[in-house]
Amino acid sequence: MKMFSVSHKTVFVVDHCPYMSESSRQQVECDVLTKTRAQGVIPLAPVSKSLWTCAVECSMEYCRILYDIYPKDKLVNYIVSDSEFHILNTWKREEQGTHELMSGLASVGPPNPHEDPECCSILHGLFAAVESLCIITELQHERRAALMDTAERVANRGRIICLTNAKSDTSVRMLEDYVQETILEQNKVAASSDRRMAIQQCELVLLHIYPQGEDTLVSDRPKKEISPLLTSEVHSVRAGRHLATKLNILVQQHFDLASTTITNIPMKPTLNVCEQEEQHANTSANYDVELLHHKDAHLEFIKSGDLHMAGTSTRENTLKETVTLKWCTPRTNSIGGNELHYCTGAYRISPTDVNSRPSSCLTNFLLNGRSVLLEQPRKSGSKVISHMLSSHGGEIFLHVLNSNRSTLEDPPSISEGCGGRVTDYRITDFGEFMRENRLTPVSEYFIDSFEKLPVERAKAQLERHTRYWPMIISQTTIFNMQAVVPLANLIVKETLTEEDVLTCQKTVYNLVDMERKNDPLPISTVGSRGKGPKRDEQYRIMWNELETLVKTHAAASDRHQRVLDCITACRSKPPEEEERKKRGRKREDREDRAEKNGSKETDDKGWQDSERLKGLIDKEDQESEVIKDSPDSPEPLNKKPRLSTEEVQPPERAKGPVSLLTMWTNRITVANSRKHQEFVGRASSVNNKFELYQHLKDENGMDVHENGKASR
Amino acid sequence: MPTLVLMDVSLSMTRPVSLDGSEEFQRKNLAVHGLNMLFEHMASNYRLEFTALMAFSSLWELLVSFTRDYNALQEALSNLEDYDKTCIESALQGVSNVVQQEWGSACPCQVVLVTDGSLGIGKGSLRHSLQTMKHRGDDKKFPLPFPFPTKLYIMCVANADELQMTDAMDNLEELLHLSGGDGQIFTIEGPLCMKGVQAMFGRLIDYAYSPFHAVLHCGNLSSDVQVFPRPEPVVVDDEVEPMPRAVSTDLEIVGFIEIADISSPPVISRHLVLPIAVNKEVDEVGTGATDELEEEPSASQMAGKNPNFCVLLHGSLKVEGMVALVQLGPEWYGMLYSQADSKKKSNLMMSLFDPGSGPLPWLGNISHLGPISEAAENPYGEDDSKSPFPVQPQVKRSYAQNVTVWIKASGLQTDVQKILRNARKLPDKTQTFYKELNRLRKAALAFGFSELLKVVADLLERECTMLPDSAHPDAAFQLSHAAQQLKLASTGESQHADFDHNIVPMHTDFSS
Repeated sequence: MKMFSVSHKTVFVVDHCPYMSESSRQQVECDVLTKTRAQGVIPLAPVSKSLWTCAVECSMEYCRILYDIYPKDKLVNYIVSDSEFHILNTWKREEQGTHELMSGLASVGPPNPHEDPECCSILHGLFAAVESLCIITELQHERRAALMDTAERVANRGRIICLTNAKSDTSVRMLEDYVQETILEQNKVAASSDRRMAIQQCELVLLHIYPQGEDTLVSDRPKKEISPLLTSEVHSVRAGRHLATKLNILVQQHFDLASTTITNIPMKPTLNVCEQEEQHANTSANYDVELLHHKDAHLEFIKSGDLHMAGTSTRENTLKETVTLKWCTPRTNSIGGNELHYCTGAYRISPTDVNSRPSSCLTNFLLNGRSVLLEQPRKSGSKVISHMLSSHGGEIFLHVLNSNRSTLEDPPSISEGCGGRVTDYRITDFGEFMRENRLTPVSEYFIDSFEKLPVERAKAQLERHTRYWPMIISQTTIFNMQAVVPLANLIVKETLTEEDVLTCQKTVYNLVDMERKNDPLPISTVGSRGKGPKRDEQYRIMWNELETLVKTHAAASDRHQRVLDCITACRSKPPEEEERKKRGRKREDREDRAEKNGSKETDDKGWQDSERLKGLIDKEDQESEVIKDSPDSPEPLNKKPRLSTEEVQPPERAKGPVSLLTMWTNRITVANSRKHQEFVGRASSVNNKFELYQHLKDENGMDVHENGKASR
Repeated sequence: MPTLVLMDVSLSMTRPVSLDGSEEFQRKNLAVHGLNMLFEHMASNYRLEFTALMAFSSLWELLVSFTRDYNALQEALSNLEDYDKTCIESALQGVSNVVQQEWGSACPCQVVLVTDGSLGIGKGSLRHSLQTMKHRGDDKKFPLPFPFPTKLYIMCVANADELQMTDAMDNLEELLHLSGGDGQIFTIEGPLCMKGVQAMFGRLIDYAYSPFHAVLHCGNLSSDVQVFPRPEPVVVDDEVEPMPRAVSTDLEIVGFIEIADISSPPVISRHLVLPIAVNKEVDEVGTGATDELEEEPSASQMAGKNPNFCVLLHGSLKVEGMVALVQLGPEWYGMLYSQADSKKKSNLMMSLFDPGSGPLPWLGNISHLGPISEAAENPYGEDDSKSPFPVQPQVKRSYAQNVTVWIKASGLQTDVQKILRNARKLPDKTQTFYKELNRLRKAALAFGFSELLKVVADLLERECTMLPDSAHPDAAFQLSHAAQQLKLASTGESQHADFDHNIVPMHTDFSS
């Protein structure tokens, strides 16, 4: 159905003339006495509904089904006509709903039988209906605004359902002509208004209602074109259940609905399908419930010609067709809960007989959160589950399940593809990451207060959380350390509080403490030969990684920067490095600037470096390596020199007085440095560079690093 | 989307192609060459596609049913025999049967019709079929359009000039139109030769069988992926938005949701998301497939050892029982999840939702889903005991509220009986009694059914007179109070017949 088909706007015009207060002559026995109390009491006379009551309750039933299945943007405008027109609601979304209409109807009340029939006419209502169809709806307005220069794609079509008592075929013709004229007239008016649109297509459905036991004065007529703008059809119906049936058929035609009957619904109390029925549980009768829904839920049946096989039945008195599906007793409570069914459509339902006992038992069962699979009865006896009934947030949907062979069957397993052989993915950590990045609806109220849509903010959060996120366990040290968790969780936040900064600093001090105590680190020895790196080497790796993580966030705020400052201030550095730092001040400043630019390249490199870290440390121990500017994070082999972040030195911000902690750490660092002998290479380096394996070069006459791998 | 190749093996396909000096070819040889090229391409770049091969002349025969075994398809091609005349209609009927039997009527299917553009003569020819199709009964309907969504590719081993000399081109265009218009007619440009047929099948491959490559992003984590089958562009509403929407080659994860919360959503299509190695050039067409075979093991071994985000994501989605919501384009979303084929094999899958920001009512507007960290308190609760989903609609559906429908007499009778049942249990059931009474009153006022109000008032008055001696004195007060109020409402006077007014219990005090 197109967004702006005739079904977008429906106007009900109901006759409120004195004649409508006539009895429909269909009697309802209200005084149904129970056997025990029947003695000596004369039952009250049955009541009968007026033509008006019949028209109103059947039109309300039409609206009920419509609103159940299309809660949005299939709109109804209800108009009552007597000596003037009474418009009960507008196209506004908040005025759509049976409750709103009922309230309006109550204020109009039943027709006054004593009013002068000469003054009353359905024409008043029809005039108002045409005028109303010209008025633009919220959806039309939104779409026109969104489409801008192609706003003409938004069409204006509508349907008028007129419930009246006509005098003859001639008077019906007169009504049609009147509507046609009014459309032409109103279209002219609409052309000059922003809030109105000319009617491009109008469907007039005239229902002539007459009491039971009378002959009709108006004949049925199928849809015919009065003009390119207007089609009209006439239905002559007796008041009462005939009218109800007629409107039920019409709502299905008008809104592309179809009917499904669920059969074999058990009344067993164990299933709690029908708790009220428990006292009669010994008679475990099965019952049927008919549901209406969009006809696409039957698409597969219609296309495959299976419709008949699926148990179409033509019921008595109605020409309506329904597809029968069999209830499959749910296996467990969790059905549909933790299983993703391959579902090709989900359609809202409305029970045809909403307050009958079986219907309300079924809907309550579903509303309580249980799902039910439905089976398509087949002649062959094979069982095919074709549908599922399930409720979501108080709405019941008929899900269409795929029952055909899948074109995706037998795919290669993910373990056979890229990255499939890696075994130490941080599955649990990423699971935790996913939980932190779950989504929640943000109420309309808050949406305007943010600059970005919530979903964009969700993406921004994912970006922050993944700036440094090693995928495998052997690539990381800090994420394997419980001690780092508080800092790692906080640093990814968009803004930090003073308290957060304090927590981060505490985490860092804690690490310093661990280092002082020489606590072991969870550095994986996977891939490395021997015992792996030494303890102080481990700490250096850890500090580098921590710095890499925090650096990616340092630019976010001063508080983030303070966490980075804390790390750079606290981590121990060999004294000669401090020395070098002073000498290399100039170069550092340059780096600092590059860092502040926050270029993506530097981030990436920091990342890559730490990913590569482990393997390189390994190499460093066992084979030669050019000691570049920093021993911490050597440049990868065979890469052009570049401005890099491996030199993880603090941008000297804290120019103020040195803190006690810094003094203390410096002292410790100096003390530590005395405990080992300086490397020969470093001691005799030129410009902090010392070429290793010089003899190899002499022997082979080539650079060993060209084929570093081969030399292993 | 499975493919069915429909190969013309009529005698006209054996017509020789005149080439100066070189070896002599039949049109059939050219067609087979082209199809071999297509199959080779699919074997290396589109190998998950199910393909069937059907040969037809006046009869049709399914040579290879739907398979991913491209060797079998190529072998069948090499064993083609020559038969009599072309009869496209019966072959299409065969296609319809074969496809529906295998895939049902909902699965879209590609049909590659390979012919020489000589479309038969007399009865059974395409011309004859098209001329007579409007004058037939339901039992002998022309097989197009197929019940399943179809893409029809007509590969003519002929050039356009040749087809336009007769009405062949017109008839083929009519055929394409009848199939639903989705597809294309390909002809050989220039002289009929191996090169020409290669170029023609090359165009088909580019048009319909080029793999869909995309980058899956989750913040800064990303992976190059192939999405299979190719996601097709979708038309949302041909009037308001006639341009088809295509899936972006950047698939951005926006966040995560529990499987129970997304709860079997309807999807328009499902796709495998296969991580691919970036440096490997997979887009090569046909040629060099043999060279690749030798290199492939080492290349794929290397790729297998490099950590890949898809594998990490898949593992965690599987363990946690969650899905990732992924943005496919402006206001278009889908979900990524782990799909298990068997106990050992599982895969990363992507399902596409209907385009638009609110495809699943129970999630609300997807653009309005934000990170939980921004909520005042964790909507999932500290111990994951709660969930912000499903989103509740503002108005309850009729079946979720106690609506009043009196179309059937039983509905009305039940409501009256409910009131009387509670009336007999006054004053214990005072609340329920008035609740039911007010419900009936509201409906009667809306329906203009004042007669009912009078009758129920009479019934209550009668109940009052029939109260047993043991009854609580309050019962009589409440009954006559209620009856009186109903009578007032039935007058229709505005002060008594207000829809939103409720009859409240009469205040009585029997405690003293």
